[in-house]
Amino acid sequence: MRAIEQGVATCPACHQMVKIPDTSSPGQSTICPRCQSVVHSRIPNSIQQTWALVIASIVFYIPANLLPMMHVHTFAGVESDTIISGVIYFIKSGSYLIGFVILIASIIVPITKLIILIYLLISVQKRSSLRQHERRKLYRLTEIIGRWSMVDVYVVGIMVALVHFGGLTEIKAGAGANFFLLVVVVTMLAAMRFDPRLIWDTKE
Amino acid sequence: MSAHYFSCHECDEISIVTDINKPGRYKCPNCGHLLFSYKPGMIEKVFAYNLAALILFFVTNYFPFLAFNIVGNTSHANFTTSIYYLFNEQEWMMGSIILMTTIVVPLTRIILYLMLFAPLYFGYFPRYAVQMLKLLEKLLPWGMLDVFLVGVLVSIVKLVKMGTIIPGTSLWAFMIMVFVLAAAQAIFDPHQIWNIIDKERMKQNEGLTV
Repeated sequence: MRAIEQGVATCPACHQMVKIPDTSSPGQSTICPRCQSVVHSRIPNSIQQTWALVIASIVFYIPANLLPMMHVHTFAGVESDTIISGVIYFIKSGSYLIGFVILIASIIVPITKLIILIYLLISVQKRSSLRQHERRKLYRLTEIIGRWSMVDVYVVGIMVALVHFGGLTEIKAGAGANFFLLVVVVTMLAAMRFDPRLIWDTKE
Repeated sequence: MSAHYFSCHECDEISIVTDINKPGRYKCPNCGHLLFSYKPGMIEKVFAYNLAALILFFVTNYFPFLAFNIVGNTSHANFTTSIYYLFNEQEWMMGSIILMTTIVVPLTRIILYLMLFAPLYFGYFPRYAVQMLKLLEKLLPWGMLDVFLVGVLVSIVKLVKMGTIIPGTSLWAFMIMVFVLAAAQAIFDPHQIWNIIDKERMKQNEGLTV
C-alpha cells in the first residue's frame, strides 16, 4: 500500500503522516499540523531541478579540473597544482595512500555521483521498474558520499594557513579550488532535490 | 499500546509500527530504509555528548591547532587561521564556506541540541522545540567537521615531506569532538522528541477545555 494512492504523505521535517486534501497531481501540498512544514506527495519539479543542478555541476567540473587548485610560491618561482597533477605527484613520489585518498575524494566521488544521478533521472523519466532496490541504494550512496569531496577544499585551506613563510615558501589558493567547491555544493543540492520516492512510481 | 503509521521517505510504502516505545530499529518492509530507531536513554546521552562537544569546541578554537617548521622558520595556525588567510587573499567564497561548514553550522547545531535537551533532561518542556528540531535537521548535511578532520590528516601527510609538523592541543580536542558529535548524531532520534511535543500539546489543550 503506497502513501500517494491513499492520499497521504510524510512530513519531511517531523515524519508524521499527513492527509493531502487535493490529490489531483503529485505536486499538491498541504501544511503539516504538527510542525507547519510544507508537505508534498512528491517534491514539485524534482526531476527538472535535479537535471538543472546536475548540468551546472558538470559545467563547473571542467574548470575545477583544468585550473590550478593552489599555487606554491617559492624563491625559485611559482608552481601550480591541479587536482590530477597532485594525485600524480603523490603516486610518483611513493605516497600511494594519500594519492589514493585524493584520487577517491576529488575525482572518483564527484564523477560517480554525477553518473548515478544522471542514471537515476533517466530511469525515473522512463518509469523503469528494473532494479528498484539497487537504485535506492545508489541514491543513499550519493547522499552519504557527497560531503566527502570537500576534503580537497579543506586541504587547500589548511595549506594556505600553514605555509606562510614570506619570500621562502607561500601557498595561495587557485581558481580551480573555487570551482571545485561549487561542484561539491551544487551536487549536494542536486541530490537533495531528487525525490527517491519517484523510483517506485512506475505506473502512469 | 501506541500504533503508528509511517509512510517511507524513500519509497512511499505505508507501514504500521504497533509499539513505538519499544527499543529497536524499525525498517520499511518494502525497501529496508530505516524509519526510526528507538534507543533508551537518548535524552541523557545526547545532552551529555553535546555538553562535551561544546567544551571541546571552545578548546579547539582557543588553543594552537598546528605549527609547521621549515629550516628554522615556524608558522602557527589556529583552527580558524585558514579562514583568516583566505579572506585576506579575497577568496571570499572559499573562506565563507569553510567558515560556515566548520564553525557556524556545527556550533549552531551544538547550541540547538543543548537548548532542546537541557530542559528535557531537567524535566521541563523547551520553548520553540518545533522550530529548533526543524532547523537541526535542515543543517545536518552542512556541518562538515568529520570531513575537515580527513582534510587535516591529508594536509599533515602532504606537509610532512616539506618540514616538521607540530600538533597542538587543539588538534586533539578537535579529533575527540568529531567522535563525540558522531556518537550524539548516531543516538539522536527525533521521533521521541516529536512524541514529547505531541503529549505536551495535548496537555495544553486539555488545560484549555477544563
